Amino acid sequence: MSAVHANAAIELADGERREVLVARGVTKSFPGVLALDNVDFDVRAGEVTALLGENGAGKSTLIKLMAGFYTPDRGEITVDGVPLQADPAAAHRIGVATIHQDAHLVPAMSVAENIMLGRWPGRYGWLSIQKQKRKARAAVARVAPHLNIATPAGRLSSADQQLVEIARAISEDSKILVMDEPTTSLSPPEIERLFRVVDDLKANGLGIVFVSHWLEEVFAIADRVTVLRDGRLIGTKPISELDHDKVIRMMVGRQVHVTKHKPRPVGEVVLRVSNLTREGVLDNVSFDVRAGEIVGMSGLVGAGRSELASCVFGIDPYDEGSVEIAGTRVQQNNPKAAIDAGIGLVPEDRRRQALVGLMSVRSNMTLSLFDKVSRYGFLSNALEDEIAEREMRSLAVKAASSKVRVSTLSGGNQQKVVLGRWLARQPRLLILDEPTKGIDVGAKSEISELILRLAESGMAILLISSELPEILSLSDRVLVMRSGRISAALTREQATSETIMSYATTG
Amino acid sequence: MALENTPMSDIAPDAGNKLPALRGRISFIDLMQSVGLLAVILLGGGIMSILSPVFATMRNIENVLQSATIIAVVAIGQTFVILVAGIDLSVASVLVLSSVLSVGLVQFQGFSPEIGILVALMAGLAIGLVNGLAVTKLRIPALIATLATMTIGRGLAYIYSGGTNIAPVPAFFVDLQAARILGIPAVIVLTLALALVAQIVLSRTSFGRSVYATGGNPLAARLAGINTERVIIIAFMISGLMSAIAGLLITARFEAGAATAAQGLELAVIAAVVIGGVSLFGGEGNMGSMLLGVLLLGLVQNAVNLLNVPPNWDSVVSGLVIAAAAALDVYRRSYLEAGMRKKVIATKAAKSQRA
Repeated sequence: MSAVHANAAIELADGERREVLVARGVTKSFPGVLALDNVDFDVRAGEVTALLGENGAGKSTLIKLMAGFYTPDRGEITVDGVPLQADPAAAHRIGVATIHQDAHLVPAMSVAENIMLGRWPGRYGWLSIQKQKRKARAAVARVAPHLNIATPAGRLSSADQQLVEIARAISEDSKILVMDEPTTSLSPPEIERLFRVVDDLKANGLGIVFVSHWLEEVFAIADRVTVLRDGRLIGTKPISELDHDKVIRMMVGRQVHVTKHKPRPVGEVVLRVSNLTREGVLDNVSFDVRAGEIVGMSGLVGAGRSELASCVFGIDPYDEGSVEIAGTRVQQNNPKAAIDAGIGLVPEDRRRQALVGLMSVRSNMTLSLFDKVSRYGFLSNALEDEIAEREMRSLAVKAASSKVRVSTLSGGNQQKVVLGRWLARQPRLLILDEPTKGIDVGAKSEISELILRLAESGMAILLISSELPEILSLSDRVLVMRSGRISAALTREQATSETIMSYATTG
Repeated sequence: MALENTPMSDIAPDAGNKLPALRGRISFIDLMQSVGLLAVILLGGGIMSILSPVFATMRNIENVLQSATIIAVVAIGQTFVILVAGIDLSVASVLVLSSVLSVGLVQFQGFSPEIGILVALMAGLAIGLVNGLAVTKLRIPALIATLATMTIGRGLAYIYSGGTNIAPVPAFFVDLQAARILGIPAVIVLTLALALVAQIVLSRTSFGRSVYATGGNPLAARLAGINTERVIIIAFMISGLMSAIAGLLITARFEAGAATAAQGLELAVIAAVVIGGVSLFGGEGNMGSMLLGVLLLGLVQNAVNLLNVPPNWDSVVSGLVIAAAAALDVYRRSYLEAGMRKKVIATKAAKSQRA
């Protein structure tokens, strides 16, 4: 550790790069999980420190400790020598600004009101509108000068909402900016703009903590990399000493091998979507997916891919067209009918759309299997245990037991629970919407292998993904969507990063 | 995933293995909820038996339990509604409507008592159905929808009864109140039986699981193929039916079709359910703890009576106890979590020493 620090210090200029935030021997546990185990971590002024690790490695916990949401069980975190307390407001006051994974803006309030949320200027409870505008304008000018501060936050794109969050988080006293997966919902040009903002802030002496699952981004922006695994510190190294493979090895402790798939024989048409139209969302979409076939669906965020999945699975109604499974029309706007027809969906936002956080792992797995685990409406403990334990074993779900609440699991393991539900159901068509979003590298490759196995067993797979490598390595055919239409249907040979991106942006 | 490094069995001992009989039926937190409430009830009972010579008599305890039955039966239905993240304010109105119908149909219209009881129960189901349809199909917030049926229901009860009690009651009600099963008043046995059935429905049927899922995450429940609208409608119908049954119990207790009874009962019921650990946000709670919440409220009422608290102060005392019980619950939960955290660290430390 100390040797690494010394090296870095030589490379870097001088006193400018002082350590602003210092965490020493930090330990934190939750019921059933030791989230952080004796971790040292520091953030230096004018540097971007990337915090990496698989899901469940302890990144989120460390971030929440820095933001003042938790106190460490042991160890201490100081900012410029001042110990951090478990109080988000106090953490912000002593200089830690945090951008959390999901946006925390009030949609109906203006940009200005959101930026000044909770620290409205004024006296005796009276708001000074002028002062609010002035302060908000100053904050916005630093990170998003193109925004009108009177616009309601709900009308901004997610990229702009993020910039507003940054503007809000950073005050005059901010010393550190913590960004937890800030690029998840951004398009490439938006990411570039975000990175320019980050570079700017860095140049102004802010210490930046950057969490991302995208190593390309890490190499584009980070000065140093700190890797956690299973709650322990694996190491901190300057980016110049690292490459892609080295980082992955630090994260997973072993080499991740890239799946190369063999073409499989495909069977009958399972899913036939014809002329599907939903006003303002989908425009005359038609395609087939055959048994044993993996059809990748690519496109930029907002191209209508998830909306298409919603219509096929009966979550949303459509105006025209039809969805057929093996020649039989599926009733629209009724997920139960879609499931009965043999469709399964692993939705994009598993916490919101797939899991009941208060329920156990087991109950979540059997949530769409009542017909398989009950007789005359009475649930069978034995059948539920059998299914839950079988799927947990086959998917290597990491949980203390099948009885723990599903919300206590890490993202990758939660996703496996959702997958387990469908494995037990064996649908004829499985729609996977961003199945590896926010999931660590190791679990990603496990899920890729699983998708291939399912296709080999004859399941038809519709794979929606924003990750081109995932689409390219798994798909037999690739559909590209743009503005609610299918702009290209590519064969495996035609599909390359370049062709896909060109149809996604200009098709 | 570095699964090889941390075998599942080492992360935390599976408590379920030690209590095979309880596996999957009751979680640790649920158990603590009940144990904590029980401790408060026993402690309060102990203090009361010192303060008042009457308290610990069989007669008084039976009286407390018997008067708790009405709130308990209504609360069983209310629990279903709160579990699906709804709320039912119409329960007391359904109760009095059922009460006046069960007597009035016999007294005024000359129907048989069986018809009176049947119509009273149907009225409860019907109001529940209206509540459920208003909440799911018309998308009126449950608070407003049931506020409307609460006002309408009470109004109908007044109109039907002329605003006064209807007496005498059919012999069935007198017999019901007097009946004993194994020496225990039949109404208490009936209440416990209803709660037991409700708990079995909640924990062992796919409908019960759907109730928890719908309250815990309605979107995820719908995407898993659960007809959440139907689940919500049935929950409101159960609440209506339970309130109507409670209406029969109050008829038996007062020996009258009581149009003016149970004023403000809906709030007492909601308080009892929440004290009993049912989350107002939905998706969390069980009948056992809920009944303890009802019992605690009943004990407070009894204590206020026995200790001769001035009449105008008793509602203040009740309110304070509700607040204290709720606060205690919050502290107990966070204490419990802290305890589990320490255990995990100790386990880990022991493991790393071994390694």
